[in-house]
Amino acid sequence: MFSSRNGFWPALPALVLLFAFFLFPVVRMLGFSVEGGTFDWYAKALGQGLYIRVLWNTFEIALLVTLFCLLLGYPLGFLMATTTPGWATLGFIFVLLPLWTSVLVRTYAWMVLLGRNGVFNRLLVEYGITSDPIPMLHNFTGVLIGMVHVLLPYMVLPIYGAVRKVDPAIPAAAAGLGASSWRIFWRIWLPLTLNGVFAGCVLVFILSLGFYITPALLGGGRVIMIAVLIEQQVREALNWPFAAALSAVLLVATFLVYTIAQRFSQPEPAR
Amino acid sequence: MDIKRRHVVSLMGGAAAVGVAGRAVAQAEPPKPAQIVVNHSGGSMGTAMRKAFFNGFEKKYGIRVVETSPVDFGKLRAMVDSGNVEWDLTEIGGQDAIRAGKANLLEKIDTKVVDRSKYPPTAQNPNVFASSVYTTIIGYRTDVFKGGNHPKSWADWWDVKKFPGARSMRNHPTDNLEFALLADGVPKDKLYPIDFDRAFKKLDQIKPHVNVWWSTGQQPAQLLLDKEVVLATGWNGRFYDIIKKGAPVEIEWGEGALKQGSFAIPRGAKNPYWANKMLAELAIPQQQAVYASELGYPGLNLESLNFVDAKVKPYLPTAYLDKQFWISDEWYAENGTKAAELWNAWMLKKS
Repeated sequence: MFSSRNGFWPALPALVLLFAFFLFPVVRMLGFSVEGGTFDWYAKALGQGLYIRVLWNTFEIALLVTLFCLLLGYPLGFLMATTTPGWATLGFIFVLLPLWTSVLVRTYAWMVLLGRNGVFNRLLVEYGITSDPIPMLHNFTGVLIGMVHVLLPYMVLPIYGAVRKVDPAIPAAAAGLGASSWRIFWRIWLPLTLNGVFAGCVLVFILSLGFYITPALLGGGRVIMIAVLIEQQVREALNWPFAAALSAVLLVATFLVYTIAQRFSQPEPAR
Repeated sequence: MDIKRRHVVSLMGGAAAVGVAGRAVAQAEPPKPAQIVVNHSGGSMGTAMRKAFFNGFEKKYGIRVVETSPVDFGKLRAMVDSGNVEWDLTEIGGQDAIRAGKANLLEKIDTKVVDRSKYPPTAQNPNVFASSVYTTIIGYRTDVFKGGNHPKSWADWWDVKKFPGARSMRNHPTDNLEFALLADGVPKDKLYPIDFDRAFKKLDQIKPHVNVWWSTGQQPAQLLLDKEVVLATGWNGRFYDIIKKGAPVEIEWGEGALKQGSFAIPRGAKNPYWANKMLAELAIPQQQAVYASELGYPGLNLESLNFVDAKVKPYLPTAYLDKQFWISDEWYAENGTKAAELWNAWMLKKS
């Protein structure tokens, strides 16, 4: 890691920062969770059905959000990277502008759009597409829509970067040799942009795990994520050891998922 | 000589007395800081507090009032524990205030500075200043429930045949456990200690009819406005706000759940004396009346109702105290954690 001394010194400020403001607090937090030398809080976190179920729900939601972000984000990132600069700029504006708007504002905007008497449902009913409003808000669907919207930029940008890095001569050569566009995508674009896909998926997945405002507001209270329970322990119950134990469980579970995903995304190099 | 000496002695005594008095004055009135920090929930509450209290305080003492938000019990504890207390005064939830007092996180209120003689005895906690009263009550659409034919009790609220329509309730055990028990026939004065089994069994019945379990105070008002639901429980001030603006919504006060808004001085606050002075400002009945007219949250200085406009009075929970009941902060201070856990588990249960 530090094989090059020249590479180490410039990185020092960042390393100090990471140590002081990330590693140290995390270790202290882990210390909280075993305060008094007992593992009781872990027993509670892992033993009570409630916390395991919420953890499971959280991963399920994060996985679905990642999947939808990928399905929407890949074509968008690809298009932005391969179109004319003018269109690419427009794409960037549309992708980045929401990123600078408060999550709360965007969440309320979705409430206006998706409600029983919201814009979408009124259109659907007025044009006779459905007779009754479709429940799109205050349920799982609402949470998915809201979270995918918030997190989409984190998928688009790494994919855009990866597509830009591919030498355009390679797909051109493949086309010249008579490969179908499907085959070019499958054999050239996808393998060469897999790093970007992986980075986007990891970003979106991990950010999803920590969400709580959007699920609370768009889920009608029925969709509970682990961050909500941790927050309750920190702010309402003031039970910091238990909050720390829950956080540690989330941290370990996330790390496991990350490691497994990394295994799959980087196949053995061809010999 | 004798006289002279006596004179000198008395002079000295006088000087000493002046010295002591000088010091006493200095003790009573520490130097004015440039600013004090008051932490509250923000939003329209902050605006009303500025109008009713902060502007007057700044003019009177020449000390700037810096406002921060939101209210955060965890942060309060972290501040006191670390000895870096940024807030001179903070709003705090009722049950949290009791727990914070027990955990020694709060300074005592200086009764010589803050006059609470006109307060009900229950609102004179040594560490906690009761700033206002709010209540969780029923808000309903007047275009759906006409001519006084709306739910007037929790038994009515549970009666989905007589009063059909989507409902919204708070995503929290507080209020809802009590409402369920009242709907099930428990008298108001027999609610505590809460019978969890009985309450959740009753809640099972209403669960399919609750479209939205709200988590922020603005949600129920907005849900009624958008006609997302036709009945919602909510804090009276939020409904008062949209009614003032002409929304087709009205309030039913029957069996509302009263709570007190509280302020407290964190232990180790930098300017405790001036925080007490601010509390004295919050206790002035005329200023409380200004605040109540803005938000619908009256103060607990019982004289303040005399200064409120007759048009505003019907929207203040203190006008209906005997129709309602007080939430027991003491009970929640002891059992809140367990209630929250049971609530979450109940919420996840497939119904």
